[in-house]
Amino acid sequence: MSKRRIEKVLVANRGEIAVRVIQGLQELGIKTVAVYSEVDRTALHVLLADEAYPIGPAPASESYLVPEKILEAAKKCGADAIHPGYGFLSENGPFSRAVEEAGIIFIGPTAESMEVMGDKLAARKKMITSGVPVVPGTKDAVSDPDEAVAAAEKIGYPVLLKAAAGGGGKGMRIVHESGEIASALRQTMGEAKASFGNDAIFIERYVVDPKHIEVQVLGDGQGNAIHVFERECSVQRRHQKVIEESPSPSLTPELRQQICEAAVRTAESINYRGAGTVEFILGPGGEFFFLEMNTRLQVEHPITEMVVGVDLVRAMVSIAQGDGIPFEQDALSQRGWAIEFRLYAEDPSKNFAPSIGKIEAMTTPNGPGVRLDTGVYEGFDVPIHYDPMLAKLIVWAEDREKAIARSKRVLREFTLHGPIHNIPFHQWALEQPEFIDGSYTTDFVGDRFDGTDYLPPLSEADTAAILASAALFEASRREEMGTHHAPAADGPKKTAWHLSAMRSMTNNR
Amino acid sequence: MWMKKRYVLSYEGEQHTAVVAKDADKIAVQVDDGERSEIDCAPVLGGRALSVRIGGKIRLVHLTGLDNAGKVAATIGGRPIPLTVMDELHAMALESLGTAASSGTIAADIPGLVIEVRVKEGQKVHQGQPVIVVEAMKMQNELAAPVAGTVMEIPVGAGDTVNPGDTLVVIEPEPGG
Repeated sequence: MSKRRIEKVLVANRGEIAVRVIQGLQELGIKTVAVYSEVDRTALHVLLADEAYPIGPAPASESYLVPEKILEAAKKCGADAIHPGYGFLSENGPFSRAVEEAGIIFIGPTAESMEVMGDKLAARKKMITSGVPVVPGTKDAVSDPDEAVAAAEKIGYPVLLKAAAGGGGKGMRIVHESGEIASALRQTMGEAKASFGNDAIFIERYVVDPKHIEVQVLGDGQGNAIHVFERECSVQRRHQKVIEESPSPSLTPELRQQICEAAVRTAESINYRGAGTVEFILGPGGEFFFLEMNTRLQVEHPITEMVVGVDLVRAMVSIAQGDGIPFEQDALSQRGWAIEFRLYAEDPSKNFAPSIGKIEAMTTPNGPGVRLDTGVYEGFDVPIHYDPMLAKLIVWAEDREKAIARSKRVLREFTLHGPIHNIPFHQWALEQPEFIDGSYTTDFVGDRFDGTDYLPPLSEADTAAILASAALFEASRREEMGTHHAPAADGPKKTAWHLSAMRSMTNNR
Repeated sequence: MWMKKRYVLSYEGEQHTAVVAKDADKIAVQVDDGERSEIDCAPVLGGRALSVRIGGKIRLVHLTGLDNAGKVAATIGGRPIPLTVMDELHAMALESLGTAASSGTIAADIPGLVIEVRVKEGQKVHQGQPVIVVEAMKMQNELAAPVAGTVMEIPVGAGDTVNPGDTLVVIEPEPGG
């Protein structure tokens, strides 16, 4: 790979990941360029960048997902590279190809890598030839019900019907007996066709009580790769991760070594370039199978950074400009424990339905071992058009027990008013025996969480404090209204409230 | 001399009362007719939170007013507690203003000023539809139709001062409604 110094990078994303990438680039002395949709002019990533360009209307399909608009902005500002973040265009082969054809460096893998890993059947075949364990299942797509029954008998029930082009939990169906296969196959093919435009389905063993373990890898694009250890991401709701931790409490040192080596083989088998994540499913007996490879920087990458002490964005830049992987495998080790909590604008009591609205107030925790990767700030109106993840809270401590204790402390210090959010869910999770002993599987939330009744009763002291302060708050507001004109009925008048609260409660002191 | 005021709060579906008493530099709070405790209360973080000390216990309560009808977002220990709070007189006014007989008559129970009439005679309304806005206790209160039916009579108009007992809107309930 030819060496070429990167001096200006366009970050083709929004939200917390755009902020994190911009911050990392700025630390390297690289100029940063943000792009934004109509509703994101005041988003945090735009405020922090050195340059910013509008790329169209709010819907991502008309802005962040349009390769031509991103390329046009990159050419206009003279960026030498594009960092795609995660989501949006980060795993879009034609986009990365177009970027490189325009003479701009794509900070990520080649289009070929994305395409192999984006096609689950192709990825599976590749893994089989590379000696990476895969879940027992069919080598090719199955569309005939009789053939499907025969395959399922051979694999052993329960089996999983899975769309070759699927992802994010869509296009999957568990089948427990041969009688269910025909209709399940028909429905999954229909879903796959509708969602992904491709109805290829394969059948594999459904691993009961699975854990989701993934390994961070870095490849130089020349056939060399290293791993940056594992993350466990088994706390999921609606097939999406909400809490991740590193190291995994489920791996013995031997198993860790095996799984990390398998991840390195995966990356090397496709001459992987940049940062990627190889996902595995771990069964109760300690057997693990390749699930998929994400050819991008992952949401939960900060826990790896905290535990291993590396900067993955910096590593990506180093690889992209031809300087190679900036550290040796032997120099890396895990130190302490990190847990990430995804802070979503969603209502845990309503099956995690997304919430939106203005961040009316936000007070964030700090102190030892705390990292907050945020895409929002107090006063920001969270748009309805994008992922409802507001921020990620990452907590590090010397060991798992201390990390859990610290997490509880840190979550207590978080206040966010405006959208409904999931901090109470995280507080719930930290109290569950399965989480505390690390035995939780991907079924944990589905099996154990009851949104209608999960909050512990407030203590008497807390109740008294809440009621007393709310009454005092109202008293100060009424006082304000009595001495001034009554506020308009159609809107909050917060500044006055707060000032009033200050005045009426501190005078005579 | 102690100046007292009662507040009605509701959160998580429960009603509570709090009496706030003030005497010069002292504040005392009595929750749900329990013991009256003197509290030491300091607004902090630019008026966005209160540090309260009851007995020796200290708590930090974040508060954000969300509207002018007493809707407040409160957070304690990271846990959001959405609640509404209003002083007792206002709460009573809200209740009595909308004294709604099953006949569908809406009457005033305390003095107020009609701000807006939202329906016309002969108009069909559904249950819960706002029909008239009355200002009382310096608050504008939307009064809703207690039943579905047809508006038969509106003896008042915008700008009228109304007294306890005055009929505001008469709705004939839908048969079987």
